[in-house]
Amino acid sequence: MTDAASPISTAKAPAGWLGRLEGSWSWIALGLVGLLLPLLDDSYFGVIAQRAYIYWILSAGLNLVVGYAGQIAIGWVAMLTLGAYTTAALTAGRVGGVEWPPYLALIAGGAMGAVFGVIVGLPALRLRTFYFAMTTLGFATIVTQVALAWKDVTGGGVGTPGPVFPWPFEPGWGFYYFCFGLAALATWITANIGSSRYGRALVAIRDAEVAAEASGISKAKLLVAVFLLAGALGGIAGGLFSSLQSYITPDAFTFEMSVLFFIGILIGGRGSILGPALGTIILTVLPEFAAPLVQWSTFLYAALLLVIVLVIPGGIADLLDYKSRRPLEQHREIVPRPELLSRVLDAKGGPSVLTLANIELHFGGVRAIDGLDLEICSGEVHGLIGPNGSGKTTTLNVISGYYRPSAGELKLNGADLPFDRPHARAGYRIARTFQTPRLVGAASVLENVMIGGTIDGSGSFAESMLSLPRHHRDEKRLKESAARALATVGLESLADVRADRLQHSELRFMEIARALMLRPAFLLLDEPAAGLSAEEIRRLGALIKAISRGGTGVLLVEHHADLIFDICDRVTVLNLGKVLAAGTPAEIRSHREVVSAYLGA
Amino acid sequence: MPTSAPRSRTPEPLLQVSGLSAGYGKIGVLSGVDLTIGSGEVVALLGPNGAGKSTLLKAISGLLPRTGRITFAGQDMSKADPGETVRAGLVHVVEGHRVFTQLSVIDNVMLAGYGLPRDKRTTQVEEALAFFPDIAAKRHDRAVTLSGGQQQMLAVAQGLVRRPRLLMLDEPSAGLSPVLVDRVLAAVARLREGGTAVLLVEQLIEKALAASDRVYALARGSIVLEASTGEDDLPNRLERAYFGQDAHAPLAS
Amino acid sequence: MFVSIVSYGLAVGAVYALIGITYNVMFSASRVFSFTAGMLGMLGGVLGALFINKMGMNAVLAFVLVMAAGAVLGVITEILTVRPVLKSIEQHLYVLSTLAFALMIQQVTAIEWGTEAQPFPVLIPIDPNSALGLIDQKFWLPVLACIVTIVGLELLYRKTLIGRAFLAIAEDSYAARALGLPETRLRIASYAIAGVIGALAGFTGAQMLLAYFGNQAILNFYGFVPVALGGMGSNRGAVIGGIALGLFQQAANFLVGGIFASVAVFAVFIVVLLLRPEGLAGAAAARRV
Repeated sequence: MTDAASPISTAKAPAGWLGRLEGSWSWIALGLVGLLLPLLDDSYFGVIAQRAYIYWILSAGLNLVVGYAGQIAIGWVAMLTLGAYTTAALTAGRVGGVEWPPYLALIAGGAMGAVFGVIVGLPALRLRTFYFAMTTLGFATIVTQVALAWKDVTGGGVGTPGPVFPWPFEPGWGFYYFCFGLAALATWITANIGSSRYGRALVAIRDAEVAAEASGISKAKLLVAVFLLAGALGGIAGGLFSSLQSYITPDAFTFEMSVLFFIGILIGGRGSILGPALGTIILTVLPEFAAPLVQWSTFLYAALLLVIVLVIPGGIADLLDYKSRRPLEQHREIVPRPELLSRVLDAKGGPSVLTLANIELHFGGVRAIDGLDLEICSGEVHGLIGPNGSGKTTTLNVISGYYRPSAGELKLNGADLPFDRPHARAGYRIARTFQTPRLVGAASVLENVMIGGTIDGSGSFAESMLSLPRHHRDEKRLKESAARALATVGLESLADVRADRLQHSELRFMEIARALMLRPAFLLLDEPAAGLSAEEIRRLGALIKAISRGGTGVLLVEHHADLIFDICDRVTVLNLGKVLAAGTPAEIRSHREVVSAYLGA
Repeated sequence: MPTSAPRSRTPEPLLQVSGLSAGYGKIGVLSGVDLTIGSGEVVALLGPNGAGKSTLLKAISGLLPRTGRITFAGQDMSKADPGETVRAGLVHVVEGHRVFTQLSVIDNVMLAGYGLPRDKRTTQVEEALAFFPDIAAKRHDRAVTLSGGQQQMLAVAQGLVRRPRLLMLDEPSAGLSPVLVDRVLAAVARLREGGTAVLLVEQLIEKALAASDRVYALARGSIVLEASTGEDDLPNRLERAYFGQDAHAPLAS
Repeated sequence: MFVSIVSYGLAVGAVYALIGITYNVMFSASRVFSFTAGMLGMLGGVLGALFINKMGMNAVLAFVLVMAAGAVLGVITEILTVRPVLKSIEQHLYVLSTLAFALMIQQVTAIEWGTEAQPFPVLIPIDPNSALGLIDQKFWLPVLACIVTIVGLELLYRKTLIGRAFLAIAEDSYAARALGLPETRLRIASYAIAGVIGALAGFTGAQMLLAYFGNQAILNFYGFVPVALGGMGSNRGAVIGGIALGLFQQAANFLVGGIFASVAVFAVFIVVLLLRPEGLAGAAAARRV
């Protein structure tokens, strides 16, 4: 999906310079057309192109919200409205009686968009999909109502004149280059974000939210930054729009425009920059050449949206993704190389211990965990077994911070670990895998593993946006350590393959590689052997054992008794949320109650 | 140990499953399961955690997509959905006594007869409730007020409304006190007397063996053992089957 | 003024409540919130005005035809936009598929019917000086429709087996499927019922809200607010939330003006969503990892 899409896609070494060039060529061609268009000296084309640039400035930001973060912001036209009225009203002196200089008013429009981008985005931090979609829709409805009613500022239904920008971007080709330049800038910064660790984190929030949290990604912080950026771009686009329109009324901001933005992004493909850019431009320009269809254009856009959603949810970009149709080698073997672990794990940390004391957890009236004691030491593999519903995964979720126990203590080296903030666990170097692999299907295996190291960057969101040196250093380091982690688990030959093309067993190893990116002090594995062949289980066992010998404390929740007895240093058996037995594998094997409970399972 | 052909004392097979594979998305759970159940037979399906027992039941009843061949009472059920299997008399009581807590006991049982003519439904609902006098007495209470054991009985009662020829029970004893477990298993015995076949997934091996004619063991998604419950040395053979051929010394027992 | 706030507020609130119930009926059957709820409300008005004013039908026939149209659109919604995405892994695609369908219908309406709000005929000839004429029918019709709907749904859910089957699917669709309930057919039936309720809201509310294509977006949002406030799937919550919203909106309209009313409703909506995503009346769902 990201192939060929972003010119600065550092993560896409597979196709090498060719792949990068392929993407760059499209941009260079687009840029040349834009730069040279004024040579035609056709003001009609000029106006159409300006509108396309303005729409794209908004869509570029919205693309991060919709295409990357997967938040269905259908009413983003509201940001355009806000930016337009702010710029127009300030320039016309309708607020406070002072006539602002147009450029300053434009910046104010951007700021207005940024503020409301965050306000409208807030519900997305807690809710997904429909509620958020409805919030943005409601906001768009209300902004229009306010624009109609607040006559002093907006001129109500009569409207208000838009600003006229003075030299150097005066109306005509000056303003054209203004729009063009800002569109190029919007493209550049959003492409930078898209190909940075922040972009990967956004996609992870979209496709594998729980895994993103476990990797230490703070959804709230990241989304606020993105809503801020998308709102600002929407506001600036609005300011430009008001100037292009020269006179604005609430009618100019129809909900249909939102649909256009949205569909442009979806057609282009989620998680791409070039695709949505082309989509937006084509949708803006097309009706100009099909005059009889103009009144039906919204209907056709909506019909297109329905077709895309039902037939090709990945967008056109997915259809063109010929690289992912090349067959993979059929009989692949995963050959982990535990000897590489010394370069992956952090040997510096001293011995540490994770302690659960008297933990209790209720779901409604059901006691999922009922007074559990457990101690996991670095350098050991600790097996956790028991029948279905005995509380194994629940215990794991308590440790990784998803559940707050109703009683008991969870301590790391004697200090309390906080609850309710699962993304904070990564900071303590506690990593985990999941019973069902959580992955970003459309991203490469390498990118999936890089997500695991998101917290290990020093560059800020703004630095990534502007492609400053620290951003490049982060990328280089993340990529190298991800490649090492992949080599360790034996998947380096698949680094550039889309993750959703992997076999189930390969995904299990990929999750371990992602967890290793944290150089974990503790690694929690939730049924890593499920669905693996006997030979793969043997190799997995050797890898897990080697990870523990590298100094990591491993908690292994597993059903495969032979694996547990083979590699564990200690085993705890749970039944009905309580410890039934604990001891060495040999002790457990001869424990009468365990044998009957386990066999009975 | 591979499955042997149906025994001579097994009457004509009621359910015949061959080469059944199923899973969840990419995760294959069952691979090539063969299994046969005769009319009126009680068969226990045992296996360690995660072996795929519930998946097998779901695949048979059509709750999960699957490949392979399923024949029930002479009809091809390989592609049937749950509605069709239920109407054919193959009823699956899913695990976790998932009754409708907001509805009354009688409504829960009535729903199991959805689509039957009214008179027939009323008769069969009363028949099913007659198996469990405890819950019949609470017929107008909402199911949320029942205890876990009573909810389980209600779930089994739902399964009986259709007068099934084969009833598949998934862990009916989970979370029940020993007394209630016996109550549920007694119902199984009464069903057998009435000629209903039962496929029983059970945690409590000894009780399951006592209630059954035959046993299948499932491990890692395949049938690893098929035996009559009368055979010698069954517990040890089960252990070996569970832990695979490469298990070390047999577990103490 | 007080009388007009209350009568207008109750009437608008009843329309919001009915749209909220439309959302709920579809949600209970499929766990899908469909953007077609507002569309049904909009069409109830537009089709009613079309049949009576433009085609000269009598009110009863027009009513029956509008309800039938609502049911048909409900069924189309299920088949075209809901069923295909229920199978897909990315279930939230329903947001887009239902939105796309609703927009297509809205656009056809805008083109064929026009973008101007048009008057809706008086349905019941009542002498304004009689006892029944004391309060304008445009106020009591939506309230009556809301009462009839609530009573009808209660009877359906409490007295019929098919109603209990709806409740069963809403509570645990997996268990319902295992019992052999015809889930797909019941879902279609639910969408048909939702279609009728949505069209009823539009038809009875149109003397007040007019026959206007733009009502779609407004009803979509203001009809969803009661669902968010009252807890999804709860019809009682939707009625209380809808009436409260209608009264609040009208009071604010009269007392402080429309800008404040819209902004306040939106602010309350966001704050409630942030503080209690499960609704003021709903119970928190345990988080699943």
